[in-house]
Formats: sequence, C-alpha cells, structure tokens
Amino acid sequence: MDVAINLLVNGLATGTLIFLLASGLTLIFGLMSVLNFAHGGLFAWGAFAGVWLFGVTDSFLLAIVGAAVIGMLLGFVLERVLIRPVYGDHIQQLLVTLGGMLVISELLKVFWSPNPIRAGLPDYLQGSIELGDIILITYRLFVIAVGIAVYVGLHLLLTRTRLGLIVRAGVIDKEMVQALGINIKQVFTFVFLLGAGMAALGGSLLAPYSGVIFAEMGMQYAILAFIVVIVGGMGSVQGSMIAALLVGVLGSFMAYFVPELSLAVNMLLMLAVLLIKPSGLFGAKG
Amino acid sequence: MTTSGLLNHRFILFVFLSLAVLPFLSDSRSLYILFTQIFIFAIFAMSFDLLLGYTGIVSFGHCMFFGIGAYSVSLFLKNFDASIGYFLLGVLVAIMLSGILSYVIGMLSLRLKSHFYAMLTLAISQLLFVLAEKWRSLTMGGDGFTFPVPELFRDRLSFYYVCLLLMVMLFVILRAFTRSPLGKVLKAIGQNEQRAEALGYQILHYKVIVSIVAGVVAAISGGLYAVMLRFVNTQVFSIETTLDALLMSMIGGLGTLFGSILGSGIVELAHHGLTELAKLHPIFERWVIFLGLLYILVVLCFPSGIVGSFQEWREKRKQRSVQAATIVEPVE
Repeated sequence: MDVAINLLVNGLATGTLIFLLASGLTLIFGLMSVLNFAHGGLFAWGAFAGVWLFGVTDSFLLAIVGAAVIGMLLGFVLERVLIRPVYGDHIQQLLVTLGGMLVISELLKVFWSPNPIRAGLPDYLQGSIELGDIILITYRLFVIAVGIAVYVGLHLLLTRTRLGLIVRAGVIDKEMVQALGINIKQVFTFVFLLGAGMAALGGSLLAPYSGVIFAEMGMQYAILAFIVVIVGGMGSVQGSMIAALLVGVLGSFMAYFVPELSLAVNMLLMLAVLLIKPSGLFGAKG
Repeated sequence: MTTSGLLNHRFILFVFLSLAVLPFLSDSRSLYILFTQIFIFAIFAMSFDLLLGYTGIVSFGHCMFFGIGAYSVSLFLKNFDASIGYFLLGVLVAIMLSGILSYVIGMLSLRLKSHFYAMLTLAISQLLFVLAEKWRSLTMGGDGFTFPVPELFRDRLSFYYVCLLLMVMLFVILRAFTRSPLGKVLKAIGQNEQRAEALGYQILHYKVIVSIVAGVVAAISGGLYAVMLRFVNTQVFSIETTLDALLMSMIGGLGTLFGSILGSGIVELAHHGLTELAKLHPIFERWVIFLGLLYILVVLCFPSGIVGSFQEWREKRKQRSVQAATIVEPVE
C-alpha cells in the first residue's frame, strides 16, 4: 500500500512538471495555432537558469522566479524574431521553431557547459515526511503544491478576468475577436510569455528533482509534452492537466512494476488515443 | 519551367559527369570520403524532399528510417559475413521494416493535420533512439560498434562510385516518380490539400504511398552511411540527423530533387569547414548554433531555396523582357 502511495506521489510530481511544460504549449497552439517546437528549449533554459541563480543568490524561491523571468524574456525574443514573420503558415512555423530549438539548446552549452550539471536543494526542502508507514519526500510535495497553485492561478486568469475571456474567445474564433477591436497579436504575445514562463518554471523545478541537468533534456521533455498535448487534446488546458498527470502516474507505476515497458508506455497511450479519438481526450478539433 | 536554369538537363548531366571524373583529378582519401558522404546525404535529403517539398508533409523523425537502414546493415555485416550478399540482405530487411513502419505511422496520423505527423514521427524516432541506447546486447548502446565491410566497399574509390551511381539512379527513379500522374497528385496535395480532395482524390492513400517511398529511400541511405563509417551508434537516431535532411532539402530548394543534392553538398562542405575552423577558435565547436541560425535564415528569407530562388529570378526576368517587348511593339 505504502509503495502504491509513494509511486502515486512520484507520478503526480512528474505529471505536474510535464503539465507546466505542456499547458503553455497547448495554450499557444490553441490560441494562435502555432506549434512551438522550441518550447522544450525554454524548459531546459529554466533548469539551467534555476541552478545558476540558486548558486548565485542561495535563495531557491528567487531562483525559480528568476528562471521563469528568464524564460519569459527568451520567449519574447523567440516570438518577435521567429514566430511573428510566419503567422498563418503551419509548415513554416514548425520549421522555424525547430531551428530556434536548436540554437537555444546549443547556446546552453556555450553559457554553461556541455557536460551535465548537478542541481542541489535548499535545506528546508530536503528530507521527507513520515506518516506511519508512508514516507513522502518533501520536495515532491512542494512540486505538486506549486503545480496546483499554477493551475489554479491559470484557471482563475482564464475564467475570471477579462483577459482570460479574450484568450478563450480567441481560441474559439480569432477573427471574431479581432473584429471586435481587440489586438489579438498583443494577447498572443502575452500568452506566449505566460507559456514560456511556465515552461521555464517547470524546468527550474525539475532540476533538483532529477538531480542532474543537461542541454539535451529540452528535447526529451518536449516529446513528453507533445504526447500530453496529443492525448489531452490540442488547445485544452484541462485536457493537458489530466493527460500530464496520467502520463506521470502511469510512468512511475510502470517503472516500478514493468520496467521493460516503462519507455514505451507513453507511446502506447498516445497511439491508443490517436486510434480511438484522434482529437484527444478533451479536444474538439480534429 | 522545370527544364529552365539550374534544372536544365544539360546542367544536371554536367554536374554528374564532373563528379564521375573528380577522382581522376585528386587521389585524396578524405576528399573521397567527404564526397561519398555528400552523395549518401543527398539520397537521404531527396527522400525527405518527397515528403516536405512535394507533398507538404512535415516529418521530424525521418532519421528513424535512416537509423533502421544503418543498424540493419551493420548488424548483418557484423554478425554474419562481410559479403555483398549480407549487405543486400540487410538493405532488404531495412526496406521491409521501414515500409511497414511508415505505413503504420502514415495510417495513424496522416488523416490528421500536418503537425500530428510531425509530432508522432518525432516521438517514434526518439523511442527508437532510446531503444537503441538500452538494448545494449544488440547495439552496444551509445558506444556503438565497428564491423567489417564487403571487399568491394573497402576501397574508398570504388565505394565512391557505388554511392554516386546509387544517387544518380535514385535521382532518376524519383524524378520519374514525381513526374508520374501519381507525383502530380502529390504536388496538388502539397499546394492545396482541400482542392485535391475536392477533385475526388483519396489524399490519405497518396500521402501514405509517398511516406512509404520516402521511408524506404531513407533506409537505403542509412545503410550506405553505416558502410561508409564502418561503424554505427545511436547518433543515427538523433534529431540532428533529421535536421540535416531538413536543412539540405530546404537550402537546395524544396520540391526540386536536384536541390537536395546541391543542399547536401553545401551543408556537408560547410560542416567540414566549420569543424576545421574549430581548431582556430573554440566557438566553432558549437557549430550547431551556426547551422541553426543558417537554417532559420533560410526558412525566413529564402523559403524556396537556391534552386527555387534561381527559378523565381529567371521567371521574373523572362516576364520583364516579355513586358518590355509588348511595350515596345506599338511604337514600331
């Protein structure tokens, strides 16, 4: 029983990290139908920036906030330089953002090092909490808490604010929103920054979680995020939340019980969803 | 239009013939290897161009077929006998595996919008990458393994000609393919999918066919690549392999098979040059940055590549001279 709970907590923590990455991806896609292949690069930048800032400032909170800000700045540059010129052309967007991914993940090696870097934790997040037989690792609970906070914040932003209303309307009918006199491009820039910030935050939280970070991790996690976006349904934040948790939990249980299958489980999940409901669990569009 | 300028038959023939006499001008082994690599990647890039340039399908995992070709040839040559027979058997197995895999992926995702195919291929190629890393008893993981190659391929010069011949042959075959009625439908799909569908074409059917052809040709190039290196490791399944094909066909000009050959030459020579420069300054060790920047510039500024831009320029000049002629006429 305690094994099951531990695995569940592990899975939920991983799922939360994937959610932070995938929700930005799906928001950007849902609103402006831009599939940003450089998203994983922002995640990796978040990880490196987080570790670096933690080393410099010695404050973990400052490090993760700073990482998110760096991610947003990078996202701003990406949006202006790469995505602005290719609105409306899917193939161009796919190609140009993939090029962006290449450049920013290689830049990581220039600024830091081509070798893996170790990531540490502050004292107050180390250790574990014991509840009877169950041992819960503090940091994983912290990750889950941050994830819940971000989800709730995003949910409130989307459902309770005028900006959220515009974003949601833009997802459904971009032209109509524009016809009402709202500058959808500005809204898009904002959403892009938000997505980039969330990805970088996810990266900075992941660093101590996995212990070691390396420049190629962006692509690795980007693929997980793509799987989540497909499974959850393109453009659905709720879908990506549920799919991310599903991928996380499934992965952690598989790694424990059937390790040979753990690599393929996400793939199989995606293939099953593509076969049964190609638009994803919560997707409307095909 | 397609027979004008850079795509002139005479020009293409000239390029192929000069490549055939090149070994008579120099006997540098490293030059042979460099050009052999160009030919092999030209085959790979042509197969990619069938997808993206002709049909408008974006694949981010094209390396999976390249890698399947590389591994199946290497495994046959290593575990059995280094003979031409086992090389051909390896290629045959690679062709079958790639055919089946591309069929399954195509049926699963090509009925959806283009980004599904892009993501699915990326995901599956990464899965193969991980598989090759973990299945150490077969692949030796990231360390890879060396293997003996057949007698004929051991000589760098004869292998040069084998690859050149294969490239020219595949160029001719693929050109016939793209000019066939089937190829015309592919081009129509690439230009306007809805219209092609409205004309009554089963576009899924055509897309799956082209993805199978592209997969099979890529597998052949992968097999040759492994023989050239006499070594294989998981690098063949990395995203950079796919990007090479992407960059080559984009720089040369999408939708022009000859452009892929040209692009392969440019990228390989540039890569070679940048690696040489790394001896001068360490920044060139991160040559992927330059590659990425070049790639972004091509996508944003020269989306039609060298061959495409040249054709556009010629078209414009022709139109201008036609215009000039019509203006002059009434005066006479």
